[in-house]
Amino acid sequence: MTVTSNQYSVISQAELAAWLDALARTTTLIAPYKMADILLYQPVQSSREIAWDFGRPVMSAKEFFFPPSERLLLIEKGAGGVKLTETIHEGKQVIFGARPCDAHGVKLLDALFLDKPPVDHYYANRRANTALIGLACKEMGAACFCTSVGGAPDDAHNMDVMLYPVDGGYAVEAVTEKGKSLISDLRFTNADYTRQTSIANRKSPTLAPGASAGVVNPQSSIVNPQSINWPAHFDDEYWARTSERCLSCRACAYVCPTCRCFAVRDEYLPVEAAGCGPGCTQYERIRSWDSCEGENYRRTAGGHRPRAEKSQRLRNRYFCKFYFYPDQYGLGNASACTGCGRCVDICPVNVDITEVITDLAR
Amino acid sequence: MAYEPRIIAYLCTWCSYTGADTAGIARLKSPANIRDIRVPCSGRVSPELVMRTFDQGADGVLILGCHIGECHYESGNHRAAKRLPILRSLMTYAGLEPERLRLDWVSASEGERFSRIATEFVDKVRELGPVKWRVPSKEVPALTQQFAAIRGDVPLVERDCASKTDAIRLKAKELLASGAVGYVVGYEVGPRGRTRPAFANTPEEADKLVWNPNCTYNLTTYLGKKRRPAVKGIEQPKPVAVVVKPCDSRAINVLLTENQFQRDKVYIIGVTCDGTQHDPGVMQARCQVCNDRVPVVYDTLIGEPPPQQEAKPSPVVLKVAALEKGTPAERTEFWLSQFDRCIRCYACRQACPMCNCPVCLYERDDSLWIGMGVNMNEKRAFHLGRAYHLSGRCVGCNECERACPMNIPISLLNMKMAKEIEAAFGFRAGFEPVPSPIVTILSGEYKEG
Repeated sequence: MTVTSNQYSVISQAELAAWLDALARTTTLIAPYKMADILLYQPVQSSREIAWDFGRPVMSAKEFFFPPSERLLLIEKGAGGVKLTETIHEGKQVIFGARPCDAHGVKLLDALFLDKPPVDHYYANRRANTALIGLACKEMGAACFCTSVGGAPDDAHNMDVMLYPVDGGYAVEAVTEKGKSLISDLRFTNADYTRQTSIANRKSPTLAPGASAGVVNPQSSIVNPQSINWPAHFDDEYWARTSERCLSCRACAYVCPTCRCFAVRDEYLPVEAAGCGPGCTQYERIRSWDSCEGENYRRTAGGHRPRAEKSQRLRNRYFCKFYFYPDQYGLGNASACTGCGRCVDICPVNVDITEVITDLAR
Repeated sequence: MAYEPRIIAYLCTWCSYTGADTAGIARLKSPANIRDIRVPCSGRVSPELVMRTFDQGADGVLILGCHIGECHYESGNHRAAKRLPILRSLMTYAGLEPERLRLDWVSASEGERFSRIATEFVDKVRELGPVKWRVPSKEVPALTQQFAAIRGDVPLVERDCASKTDAIRLKAKELLASGAVGYVVGYEVGPRGRTRPAFANTPEEADKLVWNPNCTYNLTTYLGKKRRPAVKGIEQPKPVAVVVKPCDSRAINVLLTENQFQRDKVYIIGVTCDGTQHDPGVMQARCQVCNDRVPVVYDTLIGEPPPQQEAKPSPVVLKVAALEKGTPAERTEFWLSQFDRCIRCYACRQACPMCNCPVCLYERDDSLWIGMGVNMNEKRAFHLGRAYHLSGRCVGCNECERACPMNIPISLLNMKMAKEIEAAFGFRAGFEPVPSPIVTILSGEYKEG
């Protein structure tokens, strides 16, 4: 699948912008966008709205495959009985500027939603209709540790098209067939360019040989979490101590590119102009993000909460990333964490996944 | 067909509903737009109910109860008289035309009064046109409001951090060594250099406690019902010591009045405050207007009272004033633009010491005050509902806004409500251990207008 070549064509930023503008006219273009001092992936109308020199958006690109909430079914109850309509999202979308950790996250979501039956059609459809144009990171952020969990700041795996910032623009690599057809109309400044990378290339096979390793991030010294014997730490007192300051909010799970828990409920729809006729009532089956950090997660009838203590909930988050999910979905010796560091930055009280890994590895 | 508004009227069964009957018997004309809902008392009409009515598409809500002094439950209408004006100012602030929500009094014999009020109200709402409150689920309007996160603009002068750190450690050690408290909640600096909440269980652990301008966290959120989990070998519930800033100490007063814990179960290490920072060397916006540099309640006080600062209008206050001047459409646009970013992670609620319901009203699955969708109506209902629940209780520690991953300016809601409560009742939360006037029932505090 991966095109391995040391030759890359280069496109200037102006040309890329013009191409994206044309793309935005025919498809939904999602790109890094700055609002209220934070960076988010947002649908944009033109390349002018894109935050070009961006770091890592606060939210991952997960929401465009697995939205915070989505209608699964429209349920109409009227004289003719009950009618169920599945609502499948059909629109095509292109995500520009996806970071390698985001693409890696999508790959990990595939393990649950696509690779093992039953396939989730809602997810599958969005996945098939989405192309990822990745952009290699110039450097790793202070909280990033992708290199510790099998990623790299310029990892082209899981992308459809990969861009590498170089002098005079971006070196372009079509990674998949989908990517190839996407960039078929791209006009290059220089059709034969050997990329001079300025970033580390520890493991990405797509890198030009001899590229310099220039990652300066003390956190890349985080050990591979898969080297930890997780089950041995299940009953550790450590979890109670580490979770002391945890607020049991869900920010970590919602910014995470791989947290994928959800809740499903049928809800009554208020009568709006486009109702289904007199005497007919509408309901929807809705799916929303949920998180094991919430106090009522997995509450059963009768009120039992299997993880009533926040230490149990926090422990579950880490076990899910490094033990439960890899084990259940056959990730082998890989983590269900992409090392994006979003949860580290976002936690209001500095609960830190890298600190947990470091402490347990000790 | 001409536009006819949909009006929901909540009528007290004893007075106003009978008053509506009287109007009918007397063959007085009342508009047909009104859908009456009979309630036991105007005090039964909770603000959540009113918000939900608008969320569901009502063009106007009319609430009628017995005249003050004539309530069949003695004080039910006092509740309505206190709550609804506050609710109206909140909803107005969020973009509703204030004329769409009206509270009035109609006795059982006042058929003519009922007819007049109902007609007046419907005419007014008809004039305003269709309500723009409910956001159609599939058509979120293009939200263009750009808004930079509120930052302070006054330099922060650090004083005595080292000596305060020493004093906190000394006190914590003393308390832990004597067994007077089970643990001490304070601040530490984590491996990444971020200051964060810390729990010291032993005198040795007290050495990690610090004081610095990044001690923005309100640690009282770890008291009461949100207490940390049981740790083996630490007896509970022993008293807990907590390090508080002046704003945090006000939270303790609020929690005490709400019986979240007993006073003797909390040992308060009060620290005088020079302000906290977001960006290095710059005071947080909320601290710029703060004149309360000494905790209002403490068992031991650390630090000298700082010199009085020259009050400089905080960007928060200025923004609240600017929003108040805007038109309903502008305010709607502003708030929808902000709420649009909400992901319902509840970091705001979890960080808040006052948000201590066992199950949040907006997360219950047995009574659907709002659905679980992450859509505009739900997001707004949550934020406005929370702002209302905090009115008269919020101490302005601003932890909610700081915790928000999406930079939603929650302080603009809380500051507005604090301002309204102060204007109506002359009350500021947490300075004395007395409950918010909005949760008490007797008259006297409420000023008309």
